[in-house]
Amino acid sequence: MNSKISPVTGRYVTIEVDGLEYKVFYLENGTGQPLVCQHTAGCHNHQWRGLLEDEEITANYRVIAYDLPRHGKSDPPENTEWWKEEYKLTAEHYVNFIVALCDALELEDPLFMGSSFGGNVALQLALRHPDRFAGVLSVEGADYSPGFYLDWWQHPHANAAQVCASGVWDLMAPQSPEADRWKTWFYYSQGSEAFKGDLHFYSVDHDLRGRLGEIDGDKCPVVMMTGEYDYLTTPEDSARTASQIKNGAFIDMPLIGHFPMSENHERFRTHLIEALEILQNVKKQTV
Amino acid sequence: MTTTPTTTHSPSAWADAFAEANNSDAEIQAHGKYFTTSWLLDAADHSYVIVVETGTVTRIAVDPGPLDVPYQFAIRASAETWREFGVETPAPMYHGIWSASFQRDMRLEGDVLALMQNLRCITRQIELLRVIGSPV
Repeated sequence: MNSKISPVTGRYVTIEVDGLEYKVFYLENGTGQPLVCQHTAGCHNHQWRGLLEDEEITANYRVIAYDLPRHGKSDPPENTEWWKEEYKLTAEHYVNFIVALCDALELEDPLFMGSSFGGNVALQLALRHPDRFAGVLSVEGADYSPGFYLDWWQHPHANAAQVCASGVWDLMAPQSPEADRWKTWFYYSQGSEAFKGDLHFYSVDHDLRGRLGEIDGDKCPVVMMTGEYDYLTTPEDSARTASQIKNGAFIDMPLIGHFPMSENHERFRTHLIEALEILQNVKKQTV
Repeated sequence: MTTTPTTTHSPSAWADAFAEANNSDAEIQAHGKYFTTSWLLDAADHSYVIVVETGTVTRIAVDPGPLDVPYQFAIRASAETWREFGVETPAPMYHGIWSASFQRDMRLEGDVLALMQNLRCITRQIELLRVIGSPV
């Protein structure tokens, strides 16, 4: 029997954020500048499976893909009766969590990359903590993304796992490999309890309309990248957002949807390499 | 990337093709044990009430009268939109009922809970149009 041990390793780190204690699971591989990766709402870090084993990128970057608490192998808070409260993620707590995680891992000049609600928090990080990050990649992000904070994700009369998984199916491009789309569907069937609460941030609390000019694009350059099959945050939404950020860049990604790293890493990686080059060039010019 | 719509057959021929595609589809037959519903596909020029029992399409009413055939929910769009669905590789926003509802003229009406309860198999049914063609 053939066997192969992946170079990707998984660990837990315990951190405190706003008085909440979290035991956070993360996968990592590679050496170099940290590239911290956030999965999409209601999902987990396996969305980054292609990137984590991408030999070219991990030769130059330490790719770290964590599970946000309540997702994957990161449990809800250790020190509260979380089951007595409705989960509603806020921008403030989300940002504080990511900074606390980077501090706990003692990351120097990390890049942050997130998709969907991770792409939106990338903008929040650039706005609130331009000194802590060397740059952010906002994938499928925008200044504002209303319309997805829906009760259907948790309706007790429907199969929430299937509603979440099939509800996001149309966010993927028909050209993406079927097996990768079904893996993404499968991940979504596992995350229904957190999905709606995540979308409280995505569609309600996140609103940077009129504030993009405050982002310090010299200290923390922003590159946005969006797939043409994304019906939630369209390429036009991301291009509009990037155009209002100093040094902001936008990369249009044809033939791909809202989960590019998970639905088609081979296509996504070419755009990602371009995005990383843009970030590095902006940094060189402004240092 | 849009390929040319291929369907020019009659509404009744389309209904037969849809039923056959559904009833021989591996995914629906594997996961449709409780897929029982009836829904209206409203394509403006023609409409269809599709009756499904435990994953099998048992009847399709073509252009039914106002009170002829009951249904739980309706998926409505212009004929132009449905034609975009009925190609091998749909263009962006014509690749699913969510995208076309958020970004185009599709509407999800009636007992939407019934739609959500059957979302996995309905999603697959809609994708059968990429094989059998547009209903109009």
